[in-house]
Amino acid sequence: MKILFIDNDGGGFADYVESVQGTTVEKFFNEKMPGRKPEDYLIRVNRQPVPKDYVLHDGDRITITPVKIEGAKS
Amino acid sequence: MDEKKKLIKIANGVQDALARLQEKRWLELLSCLSSLTNVFQEMASQARKLGISLTHCWLAAAQGSSTSINRSLDDLQYWMQRAKQLIEAPNAELAKPSFLVEELEQLQQEFESIDFDKAENTISVITEPITLEEVYLGPFKIQLKIDKLGDLYTNCPYHCIALDPHPAATSEDVTHPHVSNDRLCEGEGNSAIRAALEQGRLCDFFTIVRSILNTYSPDSPYVRLDEWDGTACYDCGRVVDNENSYYCSFCDQTFCEECSTCCRSCNETVCNSCSQLCAYCEESVCPNCIKECPECKRLYCSSCLEEDLCPNCKEELENENGEHPSQNARTDKDRIPRQPETTQPEIQHSS
Repeated sequence: MKILFIDNDGGGFADYVESVQGTTVEKFFNEKMPGRKPEDYLIRVNRQPVPKDYVLHDGDRITITPVKIEGAKS
Repeated sequence: MDEKKKLIKIANGVQDALARLQEKRWLELLSCLSSLTNVFQEMASQARKLGISLTHCWLAAAQGSSTSINRSLDDLQYWMQRAKQLIEAPNAELAKPSFLVEELEQLQQEFESIDFDKAENTISVITEPITLEEVYLGPFKIQLKIDKLGDLYTNCPYHCIALDPHPAATSEDVTHPHVSNDRLCEGEGNSAIRAALEQGRLCDFFTIVRSILNTYSPDSPYVRLDEWDGTACYDCGRVVDNENSYYCSFCDQTFCEECSTCCRSCNETVCNSCSQLCAYCEESVCPNCIKECPECKRLYCSSCLEEDLCPNCKEELENENGEHPSQNARTDKDRIPRQPETTQPEIQHSS
């Protein structure tokens, strides 16, 4: 199935990615953001907050935004 | 229903701005390519000059040409990188009004306070009060100017306005370690912010900016949080806490320990600029405790003046009046002030 993945960590790209049926949000996060902690991110599926065991469906839109991003001065 | 109509109207305005932005991207690319062409022409010209210089063994001229070529190579690198950024940026479809309405609705869910200013044509959200490293910075209004969206590649279309400002001691303009004059320095969030705005992902834009505001990067702040409070020394600018700051009542400013001193005569705190050195004992004294010797016109502290005269002039006067130097308690060594002889006033001895 195809999932629209919007990754606001770094480049902020948005693209469709393939994912196997029955993938939960938690599994998707661990696959796409290895080594990261879910609590450090704002995760929305179809613009809504979802539990970690939410099973993704074909065409879902998942947005992952870090809650901490380092600014600079110049 | 009215609310929905309002959102549709705002969405239409945003879409128009995004359409202008897409056009601006190609105009910006055209401008980059034009700059690149100019740099190539300049390099070709300098290459010809270099050839002529070498033919005539004009080594100084050759050096001048190579410096110009080096500068052109730097420009070339910059313009090539900029052009590549513009070309390689994802070709996002122009966001549809229905998509933008969904973005605005999500924005209302994510932020407690959201405001659409029709007159100013802005979308604003207000963050929770922000405290970083125990320094209270207050809530911030993130204000996106829809009219300025089209200028994204040349100007920042949004502001971060402190609503309960608690600026750095050293600068009123710095309301957050990464905000100066209401402008956020995006740091690692730069690309994500640009991408979100280009694609009309308004909610992502506001959440990314909020995430930057909620983060402190100690490596690159305008003002470090450990130097946020306190008082900036009026002289050197170093921020010191209240216990280590010193007030000079002569200039009404506050100074650090290094830039202030204590009057030798009255113990009053005085800054280095207001203090004066006694020409005899060379101690710092405040303006109230320094006086001019009417004979030699030099400045002395009240402790060194005797009957309003400096020790030297007093002794000279006593000599003139017939008193023998040996009658004075001080030795020659004591009475010679530690001051340059060139500035010592000449005293005429009467025979």
